Amino acid sequence: MKKSVKKIIPMQNGGQTEVEVVKGSSGKVALNVVYYVCGAVLSLFFLFPLLYMLAYSTKSDSAIAASAGTFAMFLPDFKNLGAAFNNYKTVFIDYKIGEYALNSLRYAIISIVLNVIINGLAGYVLAKFRIPGSKFFTFIILFLIVVPVETSIIPLFMVVKRMLGFKGVANILGIILPATISVFNVFLFMQFFQSIPKDYLEAARMDGASNLKIFFKIILPLSKPIVATVSVFCFIGVWNDYLWPTMLLVDNKDLLPIQAALTTIRGEKDLSEGAKMASLVITSIPIFIVYIAAQKYIVKGFGTAGLKV
Amino acid sequence: MEIIALLIFCLFLAVFLGVVAHDLYKAKKTNTPFRVKNCIAGILMIAPAVILCFLFILLPMLFSLGYAFTDYNQMRPDEVHFVGFNNFKEIFKEIGSGGDMLYAIKNTAIFVVGVVPLQILLALGLALFCSRKVRGSSIFKVCFFAPVVISLTVTSYLWLTILDPSEDGLFNMLLGAFGIPQQQFLKDPKTAMLWVVLISAWQGCGYQMLIFISGLTNIREDLYEAAKLDGANAWQRFIRITVPGLKSSVLYITITVFIGACRIMVQPMLMIGPYSEGLTLSYYMFLQGTDYGLVGKSSAIALLMTIFIGLVTFVQKKVLSKK
Repeated sequence: MKKSVKKIIPMQNGGQTEVEVVKGSSGKVALNVVYYVCGAVLSLFFLFPLLYMLAYSTKSDSAIAASAGTFAMFLPDFKNLGAAFNNYKTVFIDYKIGEYALNSLRYAIISIVLNVIINGLAGYVLAKFRIPGSKFFTFIILFLIVVPVETSIIPLFMVVKRMLGFKGVANILGIILPATISVFNVFLFMQFFQSIPKDYLEAARMDGASNLKIFFKIILPLSKPIVATVSVFCFIGVWNDYLWPTMLLVDNKDLLPIQAALTTIRGEKDLSEGAKMASLVITSIPIFIVYIAAQKYIVKGFGTAGLKV
Repeated sequence: MEIIALLIFCLFLAVFLGVVAHDLYKAKKTNTPFRVKNCIAGILMIAPAVILCFLFILLPMLFSLGYAFTDYNQMRPDEVHFVGFNNFKEIFKEIGSGGDMLYAIKNTAIFVVGVVPLQILLALGLALFCSRKVRGSSIFKVCFFAPVVISLTVTSYLWLTILDPSEDGLFNMLLGAFGIPQQQFLKDPKTAMLWVVLISAWQGCGYQMLIFISGLTNIREDLYEAAKLDGANAWQRFIRITVPGLKSSVLYITITVFIGACRIMVQPMLMIGPYSEGLTLSYYMFLQGTDYGLVGKSSAIALLMTIFIGLVTFVQKKVLSKK
């Protein structure tokens, strides 16, 4: 593949000169091969524990011992699919991991919806409304973003405990509500909404649309990228949270989200290693699906994060 | 507790009303009055966020600040006394006598000193690798970032299996193939924290990689072309163009990685446990507040951490933005 690139370089006297850069074809191919090999090795460095986990989860204890020390350790055992089925069946039926996963999913979805609405509305007001005292809120937001608020998890626990008590459903609120507020998200929304032209909103207001209607029908649809970014990060945060639900749900094992349930499953003495690995795989699959589907928005999220300082 | 919370709320309300009065006065002076209907709608719409922020962010923060100067104990929550700086004195005494607090500081220091440079350099290398304009480089990006989205629980348990100290553990098997004797990894007090550093860097660096990549794309392409024409080699281009161009990314990443590293808690908690080699500042603070019920002491540790992190962040900002 021979490629010639024409570059137009402005000269100091105002004229232009054309430089033709021709790269040697074989050298470039070799370089690309080296690049792909390096990339594959690096990818393996990041993925091998996950491949190991996946392979491990499909094997019975004896198969694990048999494949030890060989390359087969990283490959699923396709010959004996019954063992794989058994491992997954055990964690689903005997340890009810599906129910814990559903718990997590519920918490995540409710948190995402509330997160977008509550922080979005706040961002909308700060971006588009002229109200007395709005500087006060902006100041608090910037303060909370800049000052590293350290680990007030224990006082937070005490506040939530005092407010909600420790009875059943109230605990769910304790998990969800703290996850719905994020000053950083308010900041992101505010920045994004500021770029929406005021004419759109004025036109809608002329037509008699209420503020809430404008927010849901105009602002949110226009801000799909930022809504997606916030939702994805909220999902990852709630799904992966371990410490907070463990603290909160000591007495309500049925309500545990999946991460906290993993600790219980891991502690079971009579459960095979393969089944324990299967529980880790099940925990990671939803997050992987979201990650692959929403990569674009994750990268975009970092574009905005870079603006922060 | 409720009374104090109410007092704090009143304080905030007073400040807020002050700002409102100031704004109203100014509006009258400049003859740009607020629209009442608009204001009411706006306040109603921002109210949920304000209430939640107050309850779940500001209030715990202020309580933590207050508890640091009391002997609040979860066992007897009705007897709270103001004890001045006693908690802090006790903490420093513990450091002096080589107690758990000293271990916590030592382990956190090991972690921070290890993970901050390692993770940043790894992330920078990966970002440079991915920024090469070749078909397929974005697939590598997806692979490198994958560990970031996996939960700490899963990675911790996974690595506990891989680093199993018995001869069946994956790493011991690999080492065995090279004739290296069996290692204890996370179970060895001497190397436990080092492995936590390596695992954290492995898991976390994809995150900073993406920030570096977005920083790299902001560097103008024609700068490189011009330098190439002037005969600058790859290293010179890197030092003269890439590094200065990444200044704001480096500043942001150094600060956030540093803050994150200082707060390390879940990994040693799951992988090492509450032993002297696994205690970090956050973990120790957490244990004091929950298992021992000593909320006062725990809050004092949190306050010291906040002050320390705040100071270091401030210095980092000054030093890094000067260069």
